[in-house]
Amino acid sequence: MSHGSDQAVAAPAILSEVKPAVLPRPALVANNRSFSWITEKICGIIEEKTPRWWWVCFGVACFVASFTVAGLTYLVSTGVGVWGHRNPVNWAWDIVNFVFWIGIGHAGTLISAILCLLRQKWRTSINRAAEAMTIFAVVCAAIFPVFHVGRIWFALMPGYLFPFPNANYIWPNFRSPLEWDVFAVSTYGTVSVLFWYVGLLPDLAILRDRFFAAGNKFRSALYGFFAMGWRGSNRHWSNYEMAYLVLAGISTPLVLSVHTIVSFDFAVSLIPGWHTTIFPPYFVAGAIFSGFGMVLTLMLPLRAIYKLEDLITQYHIDCMCKITLATGTMVGYAYSMEFFIAWYSANPNESFAFINRAFGHYAWAYWIMITCNVITPQFFWFKKIRHNTALVWILSIFVNVGMWFERFVIIVTSLARDFLPSSWGYYSPSIVEIFTFFGTFGVFSVLFLLFIRFLPIMPMAELKAVTPAADPHAAPDHH
Amino acid sequence: MSTPAATAPAALPLASSAPVTGKALSIGLAGLAVTAVGLLISSPSQVALSYLVGITYWTAIAIGTLLLILIHHITDASWSVVIRRQWEHWLASFKWLALLFLPLVLATLLYQKDVVWPWMNPAHVMHGHGTVETDILYQKKASFLNLPMFLGMTASFFAIWCWLSARLRQASFTQDTDGNPQWTQMNRKTSAFGIPLTALALSFAAIYWVKSLEYHWFSTMYGVWFFANCIRGALAVGVLIMLWLWKRGDYKGILNTNHLHSIGQLCFAFTVFWAYVTFSQYFLIWNANVPEETFWYNLRELNHDGSISQWKYVGFVILFGHFFVPFLYLLSYKHKVVHSKIKPIVIWILSIILIDLCYNILPALKDEHGDAQPFLSLNLLWVLSSVVGIGGICVWAYLKSFPTTKLIPIRDPRIEECITHHE
Repeated sequence: MSHGSDQAVAAPAILSEVKPAVLPRPALVANNRSFSWITEKICGIIEEKTPRWWWVCFGVACFVASFTVAGLTYLVSTGVGVWGHRNPVNWAWDIVNFVFWIGIGHAGTLISAILCLLRQKWRTSINRAAEAMTIFAVVCAAIFPVFHVGRIWFALMPGYLFPFPNANYIWPNFRSPLEWDVFAVSTYGTVSVLFWYVGLLPDLAILRDRFFAAGNKFRSALYGFFAMGWRGSNRHWSNYEMAYLVLAGISTPLVLSVHTIVSFDFAVSLIPGWHTTIFPPYFVAGAIFSGFGMVLTLMLPLRAIYKLEDLITQYHIDCMCKITLATGTMVGYAYSMEFFIAWYSANPNESFAFINRAFGHYAWAYWIMITCNVITPQFFWFKKIRHNTALVWILSIFVNVGMWFERFVIIVTSLARDFLPSSWGYYSPSIVEIFTFFGTFGVFSVLFLLFIRFLPIMPMAELKAVTPAADPHAAPDHH
Repeated sequence: MSTPAATAPAALPLASSAPVTGKALSIGLAGLAVTAVGLLISSPSQVALSYLVGITYWTAIAIGTLLLILIHHITDASWSVVIRRQWEHWLASFKWLALLFLPLVLATLLYQKDVVWPWMNPAHVMHGHGTVETDILYQKKASFLNLPMFLGMTASFFAIWCWLSARLRQASFTQDTDGNPQWTQMNRKTSAFGIPLTALALSFAAIYWVKSLEYHWFSTMYGVWFFANCIRGALAVGVLIMLWLWKRGDYKGILNTNHLHSIGQLCFAFTVFWAYVTFSQYFLIWNANVPEETFWYNLRELNHDGSISQWKYVGFVILFGHFFVPFLYLLSYKHKVVHSKIKPIVIWILSIILIDLCYNILPALKDEHGDAQPFLSLNLLWVLSSVVGIGGICVWAYLKSFPTTKLIPIRDPRIEECITHHE
């Protein structure tokens, strides 16, 4: 039985010729920042007096969130007829918004878990916020399937979403991917919270100790409660590392499967434009794309406000832009392949569905989608653009907009022109739908603002681990 | 790193691969000769279809190799620097693969238009239908499925792959001598545009070479399925080369357990990816149950007379062999790092990729050829001889390139990180 050369094996002669060309890797924490600087910087965000901008943003976010509350209240008190759904478009903004938010939700954990498995150390600056983004986005997403039944108490009653027998022996349709969604999304939500929470443990303990030292017993007790007795012992770290890796390993296939099931919601049907085999990986690529778009949208302002340039360096922004470019191009490949195969299939319904998307009544939506999702990321080829933070932020907004339109185009255009020309219609959202969706950005922002106020936005221990000081073998310029 | 141990076993002389090189060429030529003999025994169409399996198989592996190098550069990876050099040598096979594709082209041009692809002959009578020419489905696709387009596109695919390979190899090999980091930067740029180019080329190669055998059928996932097989094949070949060089002594002191662990993890990951893609395609078609899609699977489950086709069982072999076996096996750390454990599974993966390609190619025309049974038929012999023949030439191309450079990229900026690769 032969292993690799971990056993003592003398070095072969060719190693004497090894003389690497000099191409240093960029520093992941710039300016040689010390451990204490990192702790002070991250904890300082929580410990400082709540800044005025935060209150302003929080107030605005609460106001915006009230639109969702108002929209949903009106919906529940009146009935689903207040939405703009009409034959043949019986699925519209509710599922568009659900998939939009769940896509962002899937991306956060996917980004964090996959980058962890791929040992991408630059993830340390963005993973915590990405994971938080996941959970808040799932909350926003969950609003739509729960409320689309109108009388929400039915959503939670036996026989509708959850498979319990009721008096009429009505069971959900287990053969429907919509039912699989219930299980997949709730499992995914649980694992995402666990993954996020496990990662938070060491940082919560730091906050506990700091608040204790500062004499703030209440906050110390609160953080201490959630830190679950973390003392940073060797055994704690060992268990932590293993748990984190296992959760990353579980999260990755889970998130793939969940977004695949979301794609099945459409692809298992016979609707032209929906039934196409590339949907699963295409949806996953789209989720990563939209996720990085949202991470950039969230992190760049934070970076500017809290002066985090040494932690979210230009290299981090470069990496995120490049992944956005790569996944945007994958999405572009999927769009092209769908279009090509719709023609290649020689199926008139399929061909019509795609030509109608591009040149029919909803062409405006299609071209917004193409512009935002395929053309916009191509700007990231250019270093000059990647280095212009304001421009990157604007482009990331385009990505978010584009990914919403992608779902709109897929769902609405295919339904509006289905098999029966006599029933064709044109869907427009009602003001209630617009309010409800608009408000979810407020819900998301409220949660995210609370997160940055009360929890460390970056994993301190992991950040320290990628500094030069953490590498005992490193040369001074090596990380 | 730069301390040569006095007692160190020196790297074996580069020329020591020469006898193996000769053997590989002989085996390759013998395989091709046996395939040629097949023309005297079986119908040319059957032999050509078997040959298509062989050429697609080895081209897939070469494409996978190219993709892995491109991905290596774009991600600035360090662990794979050493094995990347061997993949670079493997790229030498592309030009020979282009040459070896020619017999199919020549047979089509000079012997019989529909020797492989029925749609190339307008007068071809479809099994149970009219002629290709009168087929409305063909008429609609004729602007894509026609001989000049096929030839032009195939030439473009090989041109893209050969050109990218040449750029990557030249930059990497030159860096050995001048140590200029700009070569690394150049390869990174090559990768940035090389990945989308290669992805498009492999997708359309899969459509033209394989999917169009049953041109009525369509699936948007097909290119992704082919991509998954390409990568799995290249990883498996990579592991075999690593083990071979270790056994020869070249890699002793260079490779460590973590290299095998990393490549083993990728083998595992792409096993799951392949299953994901293949299952999604099957499931969506099965669930929708539209005849114009399901016929592709039905053809592989039933014979023309309604009896069960042996291909159905091949499908089960693929389901278990291509996914469950490597998936369960590669879960174990030991199975990824112990030489005697990882070797059988990568050989297994390489074999199953071949069976997967057979499953996608051979049944396409089984009813037309009146050859419903895949097992123990003469076709199998021509498939094997083609695979051995073309494979021998690929291995020969690799071995010929092998002694022309340093064993490892000694001036690569990440070479030290690679040699000290750890978890």
